[in-house]
Amino acid sequence: MPSEAPGASRESVRAIELKGRMMLVSVLRLNTADAAELDAVLDARMAEAPDLMRDMPLVMDLEGLGPLPMAELLVTVERVRRHGFKLIGIQQGEVATAPVGEACGLPLLVLGAKSGEAAARKSAPEPAAPEPRAAPAPAPAVHTPTRVVTQPVRSGQQIYARGGDLIVMGAVSAGAEVLADGHIHVYGTMRGRVLAGVRGLATAHIYCRRLDAELISIGGHYRIAEDILDSERGENRLITLVGETIRITEI
Amino acid sequence: MARIVVITSGKGGVGKTTTAAALATGLAMQGRKTAVVDFDVGLRNLDLIMGCERRVVYDFVNVINGDANLRQALIKDKRTENLFILPASQTRDKDALTTEGVGRVLDEMSREFDFIVCDSPAGIEWGALMASYYADEAIVVTNPEVSSVRDSDRMLGILASKTKRAEQGEGAIEARLLLTRYSPARVEKGEMLSIEDVQDILSIDMIGVIPESQAVLNASNSGVPVVLDEESDAGQAYIDAVARFLGEDRPHRFTTLQKRGFFGRLFGS
Repeated sequence: MPSEAPGASRESVRAIELKGRMMLVSVLRLNTADAAELDAVLDARMAEAPDLMRDMPLVMDLEGLGPLPMAELLVTVERVRRHGFKLIGIQQGEVATAPVGEACGLPLLVLGAKSGEAAARKSAPEPAAPEPRAAPAPAPAVHTPTRVVTQPVRSGQQIYARGGDLIVMGAVSAGAEVLADGHIHVYGTMRGRVLAGVRGLATAHIYCRRLDAELISIGGHYRIAEDILDSERGENRLITLVGETIRITEI
Repeated sequence: MARIVVITSGKGGVGKTTTAAALATGLAMQGRKTAVVDFDVGLRNLDLIMGCERRVVYDFVNVINGDANLRQALIKDKRTENLFILPASQTRDKDALTTEGVGRVLDEMSREFDFIVCDSPAGIEWGALMASYYADEAIVVTNPEVSSVRDSDRMLGILASKTKRAEQGEGAIEARLLLTRYSPARVEKGEMLSIEDVQDILSIDMIGVIPESQAVLNASNSGVPVVLDEESDAGQAYIDAVARFLGEDRPHRFTTLQKRGFFGRLFGS
C-alpha cells in the first residue's frame, strides 16, 4: 500500500531510481467468458466495496477460460476493465500467451507457481491466491498473524493488515486510516478512518476504547462522521454490520 | 558531541523561529555553547528575530557548497555569550540543502557545540525533512487550534519514520510539545483548545506552554529573543521550557485564568 513520501529520496544527481520491491497482488481468475454472467458478477463485486476494488491492482488469470479465439479474449479483458477494475498484468499460461498480452497492452507475469505448472492447475480447483470472486474454494486454513501497532497512528499515516486482524494500542488520529481484512481493535481514541473486512468480510467487527471516528466501514458498507450520532459516540464501542447497516453498540 | 534538536510544526506562523531563538538563547544563558541554524532557505527570518540581520556575510548554503567555512559563516551573538547563529540563504532555494551537505556541516558543528538548534521551515517538504533528518530530538510547536494540532500530528508521524535515527532502526526520536499563544481566557470561552484537549489528541509530553503575549511581538520587532525579557510572562514561560529541556522538573505557569481579586483591581497590577 502507498505511504507518505514527500520527496523522500530526492537527490539532485539522481533523476530516477530502479528498485526491486515485493508486493502482494490479488489475482482475478475468470472461469467464464459469458458476457451476461460476467457483467452480473463483476457488478456485484464492485458494488460491495467500490473504493477498495477500484484502487486494487489486479492480475488477470485467463486459464480457466480454456482455449478461446483471440478476439473473444480481448473483449473479455476489456469487459473487466470497463467495470472499473485496475488491471496491471496477465498471468502467463497456455491461454494467456505473449501475443494475447501484447494485444491487451498488459505485461505477462509469472506468479507463484512456475509457468510450467499452469497446465496442471488448469482443471483442478485452485488452492492458492486470494480470489476476489465468490468462489466455492475453502478458505485457506493458515493462521495470519494479527498485526499489532504499538505507536499512535498519526494524521496522514495508513496501516493495512492484509489477510488478518489489526490491533492498535494507541490512538488513531483524525486524518489517519487503518484497514484490515479482519477485525480491528483500537485501544486509544479512534478519530480517523477505520475500515474492517475491506475485502468483503461482513462478519468483521471494530472494537474501540473511544469512538470519535471520521468514517467507519465494515465489508464495504460505511458511515461517515455526519451519520454517527452523538449518542453513538463514546467509550467502549462495538461496531458490527447487521444486514446492510453499520450498528454501533456499547460493549 | 552536540545534541541536535529540531524546532518544527508542520503549520506556519505558530512560533517556530521565536521558539528556536528563545531556546538557543536560553541554553546559551545557562552556559551551554549553542548554535542555532536557519533551515528556511529562501525565506530567512531567524537573523531578524536574533537581531543580527545586518551582520550576515555568508550563510548555511555557502558552507554546504564550500564557498565559506563554518567559522566565517557563524555569527557570534553580541548579547549572549556562547551563542552563534548560522543564517539561511535568501537567494537560493531549498534544493541547495543536500542530505550529504547538511550532514557534513552539522557533523563539523557537533564537535564544537553542546547544542545545535535547527529552525525548520513550515510544511512537510524537503527543507523541513532536512531540518529534522539529523535530529536527536524534536520540539513540535503548536497553537491551540484544530488545524495546527492536526498538522503537528502529521509532523509527529513523519518524525517517527523519516529521521536518520529512524532509518537506521534506532526508533523514533523523542518529540515534545510546546504550546504557544495560549490564552486561558479564550479557552474558558470555548474559542480555543485547552491543554488537556491538545494533549489528548497528540499524546506526547509537554515541554512548555507559552501564553499569548504582546511581549512576543515586541521581541520579534526589536530583534531581541523574548527569553531575554525576563519580566514578561512569555519570557518566563520560555525560561521554564529551557529548564525542562535540560531535565529540570518545573510546574507549568500561566495556564489558568488569573481572577483579579479586590486588591488586584484596586492597584491594577
